[in-house]
Amino acid sequence: MTSVAARDGKAGQMTRPAPLGRRRDLGWIGIPLVAVAGLAAYWLLPDDLALLTRIAASALFVLSLDLVLGYGGIATLGQAAMFGTGAYAAGIVAVNWNSDPFVMLAAGGLAGGLIALVTGALILHARGLTLLMLTIAVGQIVQEVANKARDWTGGSDGLSGIDPAPVLGLFRFDMFGRTSYLFALAVLVVGLVVARRIVRSPFGLACRGVKEDPLRISAIGGSPKSYLVALYGVAGVFAGVAGALTAVTSGIVGLDSAGFPWSAEALVMLVLGGTGRLYGAVIGTAAFMGIHHVLAASDPFHWMGFIGLFLIGIVLFLPGGIASGLERLGGLFRGKEDRA
Amino acid sequence: MTKLLEVEGLSKNFGGLQVSSDITMTLNAGDRCALIGPNGAGKTTFVNLVTGVIPPSAGTIRLDGRDITRLSAAERVRLGLIRSFQVARLFKSMTVREHLELAVLQRDRRTFRLFASVAKVAGLADEVAGLLDGMGLTPVAHTAVGSLAYGQQRLLEIALALAMKPKVLILDEPAAGVPHSESQRILDAIDRLPKDLAVLMIEHDMDLVFRFASSIVVLAQGRLLCSGTAKEIVADPRVREVYLGSRADAH
Repeated sequence: MTSVAARDGKAGQMTRPAPLGRRRDLGWIGIPLVAVAGLAAYWLLPDDLALLTRIAASALFVLSLDLVLGYGGIATLGQAAMFGTGAYAAGIVAVNWNSDPFVMLAAGGLAGGLIALVTGALILHARGLTLLMLTIAVGQIVQEVANKARDWTGGSDGLSGIDPAPVLGLFRFDMFGRTSYLFALAVLVVGLVVARRIVRSPFGLACRGVKEDPLRISAIGGSPKSYLVALYGVAGVFAGVAGALTAVTSGIVGLDSAGFPWSAEALVMLVLGGTGRLYGAVIGTAAFMGIHHVLAASDPFHWMGFIGLFLIGIVLFLPGGIASGLERLGGLFRGKEDRA
Repeated sequence: MTKLLEVEGLSKNFGGLQVSSDITMTLNAGDRCALIGPNGAGKTTFVNLVTGVIPPSAGTIRLDGRDITRLSAAERVRLGLIRSFQVARLFKSMTVREHLELAVLQRDRRTFRLFASVAKVAGLADEVAGLLDGMGLTPVAHTAVGSLAYGQQRLLEIALALAMKPKVLILDEPAAGVPHSESQRILDAIDRLPKDLAVLMIEHDMDLVFRFASSIVVLAQGRLLCSGTAKEIVADPRVREVYLGSRADAH
């Protein structure tokens, strides 16, 4: 077949010079960068390992939110339902049967994925505000179930007595939190690798299509809802693992792990870092929790106000989040690369 | 000749308003049929009925011998009934290449592969390269569709439809909104569509219709007014009255 361009030689007429495509991730650099920065923090901030561990586990949770929001366009304020379910599942498994950290992560991921698939199938026909309300409702239900099931979850006292076995039978969870942090960092990096693989798969491509125009997906023979439910389930696994990771590293699971504020906070962290990029979730979480940590120590009464100002600044001047600012900086140094 | 699309007694009323009534037509393999009619004749409704966007009030639609009247739009697409949109309807932030990859993957039901890399799916790159080349879109393969010229978006619409290996292709005003200097390339693309495909084109531009169509169907007020070859249609006094008459009104 001869190409039209070759035939009438008028290709130039229809070709407008293409602007530099909007970059969606930093290619393969982002993930090693997270690993290196994480290890550097381990050496540089040995007294803040507890905070760093919370950041790593939370970043995995925010990453799960980026999958549904940034790649599927699902507006949700109930992602903590999956986090909390994963955390409780891991805690219950550890207290009653097996406290191997990998078994706990598997239990958390399974539980988070299952609850996401079931609730997703029920609510994802809705869009926009209706969907937002439904996700909040799911979060409230999960929290209330955890509250009532005292015998299993400890109710409002929280589930304690989680004592994870050494990682691979070798590395004990020490009182300084070194094992906890390195374990959390490793899980986060693996999570990033897997997430990146998924968003670049045929499935990830289809989900981006659904995000932009679900009806057009139907017009090429796809079912938008089944993609969304599958994506919600996948993200549920990530959120569940993040919850389990918190249970492993902190040894306790509370009702707030499934609460509305935690869902909303994750959204703030994601917007701060930048959606649809994966590593934006890590940056946003580190920025939010880092600032929180510093400000809360120096000014315990007004820190939330500063976070608010910071968020307003980001939204006004860097609508794509901190990550987009970094990308612009990166764009100054290279400009001719094709696509990630 | 194989009957690919058979529409029988297709009707649609919204409450008391009859927008399509008793339309019967057949498309054979290799047909190049133009659907014309004045504004408000019910052309878009007819396309929406055939493609399954809205359910008919009465009548049957068969695709390649199979009754598809009750199937959803997506199911009809999977069976090979493909349409392009009047206003290019594309995923603005995705590149030209990604559009075609998605369409091919969707056609082959390979979109639920979570851990495969799009770049490594067997045969995909070659097929997409062929489609890009066929529409002269190779130079803009990596450009986000939002920044393409409109004519190129229309070409991509056609390439996207072809990627799904249609049996019946419905082109809804493929050259609408494209400057005259560029519409030639779209016509060339239509000329080179696979010969065994049945094509139904909705079009206002009569030059385009006469050049493209081996047969013409005229709709007026939701009814099939007449059908035949281009010559027969031009000579038909009813067409002159309804079609040209209303065009005179429009001016």
